[in-house]
Amino acid sequence: MPRRVAIVGVGLTRCSSWRRDVSYPELVYEAVSAALQDCDIGPDAVDAVVYGSMDPFDGLNAPERWCVDACASAGALNKPLLKISTGGTTGGSAALGGYYHVASGMFDVVLVVCSQRVGETLDAQRVLNTAVDPVYERGFGAGAITVAAIQATSHMHYYGTTEEDLAMVAVQNHENSSNNPYAHLRFKFTVEDALNSRMLSTPLRLSDCCPSSDGACAVIFASEEKAPKLAKHPAWVRACGQITDNYFMGDRPWAEDWDSLAILARRIYRLAKIDNPRREIDVAELYQAFTIQQILEYEALGFCQKGEGAKLIRDGTTSMQGELPVDPSGGVLCNNPIGASGLIRVAEAALQVMGKAEQRQVPNVKTALAHAWGATIGFHTLMVLDKQAP
Amino acid sequence: MVSRVAVVGVGQTYHEEAKSTQSYYDVAFEAATKALEDAALDKGEIDTVIASGWDVADGRTISDMYLVPAASGYLKDSAKAAEDGVLAFAYACMRLAAGAFDTALVIAHGHTEHPPELVSNVVFDPFFFRPMGASTITTLALQACAYADKYGVTPEQAAAVVAKNRRNAVDNPYAHLRSPVSVEDVVRSPPVAWPLRALDCPPRSVGAVALVLAAGERMRRIRSDVAWVRGVGWAVDGYELGAADLWRLPSLAAATARAYAAASIKNPLDELDVAEVHDITSYHELMAYEALGWAQPGGGARLLEEGVTGRGGKLPVNPSGGVLSTNLHAGSGLLRVAEAVLQVTGRAGAHQVEGARTALAHGLSAAAGPAAAGNCVVVLGRD
Repeated sequence: MPRRVAIVGVGLTRCSSWRRDVSYPELVYEAVSAALQDCDIGPDAVDAVVYGSMDPFDGLNAPERWCVDACASAGALNKPLLKISTGGTTGGSAALGGYYHVASGMFDVVLVVCSQRVGETLDAQRVLNTAVDPVYERGFGAGAITVAAIQATSHMHYYGTTEEDLAMVAVQNHENSSNNPYAHLRFKFTVEDALNSRMLSTPLRLSDCCPSSDGACAVIFASEEKAPKLAKHPAWVRACGQITDNYFMGDRPWAEDWDSLAILARRIYRLAKIDNPRREIDVAELYQAFTIQQILEYEALGFCQKGEGAKLIRDGTTSMQGELPVDPSGGVLCNNPIGASGLIRVAEAALQVMGKAEQRQVPNVKTALAHAWGATIGFHTLMVLDKQAP
Repeated sequence: MVSRVAVVGVGQTYHEEAKSTQSYYDVAFEAATKALEDAALDKGEIDTVIASGWDVADGRTISDMYLVPAASGYLKDSAKAAEDGVLAFAYACMRLAAGAFDTALVIAHGHTEHPPELVSNVVFDPFFFRPMGASTITTLALQACAYADKYGVTPEQAAAVVAKNRRNAVDNPYAHLRSPVSVEDVVRSPPVAWPLRALDCPPRSVGAVALVLAAGERMRRIRSDVAWVRGVGWAVDGYELGAADLWRLPSLAAATARAYAAASIKNPLDELDVAEVHDITSYHELMAYEALGWAQPGGGARLLEEGVTGRGGKLPVNPSGGVLSTNLHAGSGLLRVAEAVLQVTGRAGAHQVEGARTALAHGLSAAAGPAAAGNCVVVLGRD
């Protein structure tokens, strides 16, 4: 069995469409120094660094090199640093990387840092289009929003989900993000406002889509010996993993269901010994760059039956007052520094378990779930965090 | 490490200037399939896949989308080190050591048909270094220049590295450049960035390399002649070139110290039988000798001149021909590990070093970084 690992520190930055008040290393240092402060350690205490970003979405390649001095290496260079990039799941994959650094027994305290300055890229959707095959799929404009639009169209067709359901997802998340000082979009609107917003990729309107953000996030993982000394309430990793779907979108025909996520969820729940996710998970931070995805994720993660995701929004189950609050931070829909967004889900879930989520805290959280998707919906990561050591 | 890890399968394509009849994923598939065949495993028996590479040099975003399924990773737990494949290898070792998986496949590729000078220029900050024209090759040249100046290394002494490695590549059927060159050829080749001349620099090769790793009980059932991972260490140096001692490789020295400590190696020259180092330029092979603790600072050229690192020497270096003969850009480091595995398992064919039991592989994450600042060292043993 792997060594037990816990999250002991979290650092978030303010996010906006262009953080022109700070240079790239300053942005990263904002997250790193906050995480180090959170568990009251100096940079010397960090044994290794995992850095996540998606270079093609930045105005700079290999930002981990310019930012290396900002990553705990300050004053202690020549530490192990591993860069991880897996598209939208980059943050989730980097968190898994931090976990395995410690679980291997090779390192005790590992800093995971993710950053992205989408504000400096020319056109993120065009960049993402280069991910798909140049012969078969690039020509019809495959990217994030177009794929999400296919998911929405299918879900509406097969399960009767409506544009109003999507609008309600947007309203709920914006309601939540107004409690989150680190979110990019912090304004509220009504279902009617959402339904009147501009159509971007049918049936997704402006209100159904995430912004593109500049921001960074840092999370510190520690071994079972070190964790209790570094945090009053460490967030223990109960189970985590990733799944890889087919490269060609045409080989993933069921856009109305997210089967790869459902398979991963079953694996992770088995590892975490979770029988009834809706009852046993207290809060979930899901990666919903588009409103429809939150509905698909409810179903794939077993919070409800297939096709019934919209019901959880309508009956308030996933609102802050509901049985299983989802995305108290407002999620990716309100803040998307791409390579960091997955790690922000892990960070927010950890804050909930540690009881440090301030105005967005869900009461009495014991178990939290963090999710990310990426690679034109081909990858997912999940991490279950718990107040109790496994 | 919690559990012991070994390499049980190696696969590589023939490396060449271009592969016009194979798409990206076909090249990766070929290497992965050969590695699985070498380990006599079915793709279903691989638990986790770690890809590698640098999207901006490939011209493709999220290259692991196609690399991982091509390398038996469909519906499996995968990740990508946005580095040279040698760091994907390090990550796979951690995943196996943690006991979460029994088998792993690591894949790296080279697809940099065009010079990565522009994309490597964009690695640098937009204020100071980028407008100066800093890039991978110009910063490597700055290091070579500082090293040559500090220790009086002559162009001929550096060129001897090229002559050695290119001669070695003649015996390696997978190598890209398999024609020997003389010291004179090197010093007369056209200048690229002072003091580097065309033949001091590696080619750009297209190809892929894959390794299958296994841990614990599972491995014993796969094969008996495995290459044990005795130690892995890696480190990244600071960013500011102006603040660095350009004539040495501190991150390689730090990585080496970690790997030697894990492998309990005290006298590397006596304990290592063969090494594959990342000779990103001829000067960098000499600098690596020093950072790896085989020679005093400035003593690298003498080690070569005394024949220590030649074929038949005490510690043959790059019997495969090294990076100067085959450069998979973000796969060259993993190719060093693959060659070291072939050596310690006695399967290197015509370039086999007799009786090699302990091998060192050094990979430079040149893909992403300026000035040879990210290094990884792997020690492999038959025992």
